[in-house]
Amino acid sequence: MRSCMPAIDVKNLTKTFKIHQKETGLKGSLKALFWRETIFKEAVKSASFSILEGELVGFLGPNGAGKTTLLKMLSGILYPTSGQVSVLGYTPWDRNRDYQRQFAIVMGQKNQLWWDLPPSESFLLNRDIYGINPNVFQRTIDEMVDLLDLKELLNIPVRQLSLGQRMKCELVASLLHQPRVLFLDEPTIGLDVISQEKIRSFIQEYNRLKKTTVLLTSHYMQDVEQLCKRVLVINHGGIVYDGALSALSERYVDHKVIKIRFSSAQDANPPSTLESVVEWDASHAVLKVQKKEVARITHQLLGQYAIDDLSVEEVEIEEVIRRIFEEQPPQT
Amino acid sequence: MKQTVFRYFALYLSFLSHNLKNEMIYRANFLIDICIDIFFMGVNVIFFKILYGNIETVGGWNFHQTLILVGSVGIVREMAYLTFRKGFLELGEYVRTGNFDVMLTSPVATSAHLAFRHVSLTESFGEGVMGIILVGYGFAHLDAASWIGIPFYILMLLNSLVIYYGFCLLVNSLVFWLVKSQELNTVVYYFMNTARFPREIYHGLGKGLFTFIIPSSLIATTPAAILVGRAETDIIFLSIGVAISFLTIGLLFWNWSIHFYSSASS
Amino acid sequence: MQKYWTVFQVNWQNALQYRGPTFVSILGNLLHISVLLYLWNAIYSGGQQLGNYKLSDLITYYVLQLMINSMVLSYISWDLGNQINDGTFSNFLVKPLNPLYYWFVINLSGKLFEGLMILVVGGILSSLLINHISIPSNGTTLLYFMLSLILGGILAFEFDFAVGILAFWLVKIHSFKYMLQYGMFFLAGALLPLDLFPEGFQKLANMLPFRFLIYFPIQVFLEKEAQPIEGFLIATVWIVVIYILLQFGLRRGIKHYEAVGT
Repeated sequence: MRSCMPAIDVKNLTKTFKIHQKETGLKGSLKALFWRETIFKEAVKSASFSILEGELVGFLGPNGAGKTTLLKMLSGILYPTSGQVSVLGYTPWDRNRDYQRQFAIVMGQKNQLWWDLPPSESFLLNRDIYGINPNVFQRTIDEMVDLLDLKELLNIPVRQLSLGQRMKCELVASLLHQPRVLFLDEPTIGLDVISQEKIRSFIQEYNRLKKTTVLLTSHYMQDVEQLCKRVLVINHGGIVYDGALSALSERYVDHKVIKIRFSSAQDANPPSTLESVVEWDASHAVLKVQKKEVARITHQLLGQYAIDDLSVEEVEIEEVIRRIFEEQPPQT
Repeated sequence: MKQTVFRYFALYLSFLSHNLKNEMIYRANFLIDICIDIFFMGVNVIFFKILYGNIETVGGWNFHQTLILVGSVGIVREMAYLTFRKGFLELGEYVRTGNFDVMLTSPVATSAHLAFRHVSLTESFGEGVMGIILVGYGFAHLDAASWIGIPFYILMLLNSLVIYYGFCLLVNSLVFWLVKSQELNTVVYYFMNTARFPREIYHGLGKGLFTFIIPSSLIATTPAAILVGRAETDIIFLSIGVAISFLTIGLLFWNWSIHFYSSASS
Repeated sequence: MQKYWTVFQVNWQNALQYRGPTFVSILGNLLHISVLLYLWNAIYSGGQQLGNYKLSDLITYYVLQLMINSMVLSYISWDLGNQINDGTFSNFLVKPLNPLYYWFVINLSGKLFEGLMILVVGGILSSLLINHISIPSNGTTLLYFMLSLILGGILAFEFDFAVGILAFWLVKIHSFKYMLQYGMFFLAGALLPLDLFPEGFQKLANMLPFRFLIYFPIQVFLEKEAQPIEGFLIATVWIVVIYILLQFGLRRGIKHYEAVGT
């Protein structure tokens, strides 16, 4: 019953920021002493989506697309300009204490741990802030220390930890109260590849074990590819795609890539009859071909040349995303 | 209600112990801070010493009575550092770096979380001790000292603390528009700094201004008047009324101002 | 020269961003001054008097003090100290910028900016109190007053810079800096005119250069200063001496900074 209800339901959510313009030069400065021009920037534009309990959904978008702003509204940190949000039945910006006890937000670039104290102290403080039962608290810590392999780090001052170790502790601190909803904003930013991988598998494991609803934003395609079946693509404040990651290329890309290895040396110049050649030399070639043309062109190639190997591939997902962002001009 | 009070008290103790552990790391600063506190209080006393070298009374208060005023301000400030002040001094920093976010998402009232975030026993310790010494010294030199007044004196100090907190909330709410809180706290600093002058110096418009808008005239004068034996019931009830109003309005304004917080994005 | 002009403009732009806070800080000072005005009024209306000051002299003293606080007194040591502590000071070691001149220009543009704002506030305040303030009897006094403000401004900057570069040798000195500043302003006559101090204290304060920041300009304005020209000369000598000491201290400090590394 519960799993059918959306954990997060967002309708027409909009956030507009005010920005002050200033003219350069001394004259502009003097003028600005008394009067400044204000412009409005829509960080999030009429976003609507809903997420089921237990889902792990990724947010994709370039810098400044509005991902963080959206997460902050879902956390009640920012008030929206208009629109409705319901998370676990609560309106986040009412900042209801019961809601606050059931969600957590982790931001990769900020830390809530006390810099000069060991992480275990910050954990204790969070225990008191969230009013966690001491037994439950101890059990949760043990469990997560195990999962993240943190045992030796608990009593070292945070300032002496590496970025990756700090992020792990940050995650533990945020999960102590066993939130039902978890917002992760760039949890792997700035980390080395190994730490990234560890954080990733932890999130995956945690979501599987606890059925926690997770909403994640990341720069790293790999985070999203590995963790999320469903993605929301956000650009210029609006949601431009909502669906399976695998279906993304079908929707947005109308071509495939054909790769060929010739069995004997060829003319180094591509024939003029073939369009959309990306690479072409004596031994191999790469072509970008419209989907509906794939069969015809493959046939043509096989007939014309002696070919060792031929493959037809989907465009890489990063390429797909880049295309979406390039093709969506800001709507004003 | 009782449960909430108990929970916040426990939370306060938790924050206090964490801050103490933190301060132990920089305990060398402690002695320096005490010296600095003594210096500031010393300058205050010298100011009045020079002033009273030229004149007899200020608003009907003689030198020793004035020392009670100066000392009371010191005690209230130390109590404030023990309960809320430092968090407000760092508010601009929290807002600029976005660390204020945590206070909005935790299941604790923002006004309390900010207050408790950096409660400090050592920060203003010297000022508190000097304050008690000055009050004691002044009290010992009174013509008619009233020992019964002491518990009421302490109660009214607590009342002044509430006024101070309310005023602090009200002024610091502007941080969401100004982003910097340093200048706001200059205002709060002068608010406490001018509280050591007796309320009797004000008249007309100023009396209203420094009672109802910037209630600095009540902070030290009300408790000190009890010790000196010149307190009338009017001023006590007035102080309590002002404390309740400032706390209420401060909290309302603060909670409304949070709407305008635009969290730093990196 | 051009680069410092650019620094001036950029800092002006930056100050603009924070005109709200600047205004608030002026309000804070205004609050302080008005309490003191009430204090003097209460004392004088009780028939008491401070030294040879008429009430109008005292009111003028504190209104001018308010304006001097914004136009003359320098507050760059906080940022300078932070730069040294967090290592951004290294910029001066790799760029053709002299930190002393750089911060002088920063201070100058900040003071002009704040000065413009305080002129408005001070103007309103003076017009409200027009019957209660002392006004100079001739133009020479005003000219002397302006000159004393400029000398005071330069000296104030030099002292502030000296406090700032203490950060080369001491970490976490913010409260220590407050103490030095407060002591300096006290000896400059910010809280009470220096001639109300007890004899010995007065002699000390007169020997020290701090009086040129606040007390001296106001005495010139009130036409209570017997030898303004002599004062200008002494102030100039102090400016030169401290400038030389600052250059020396800065060089030592940078050497220390490079040795320690941040």
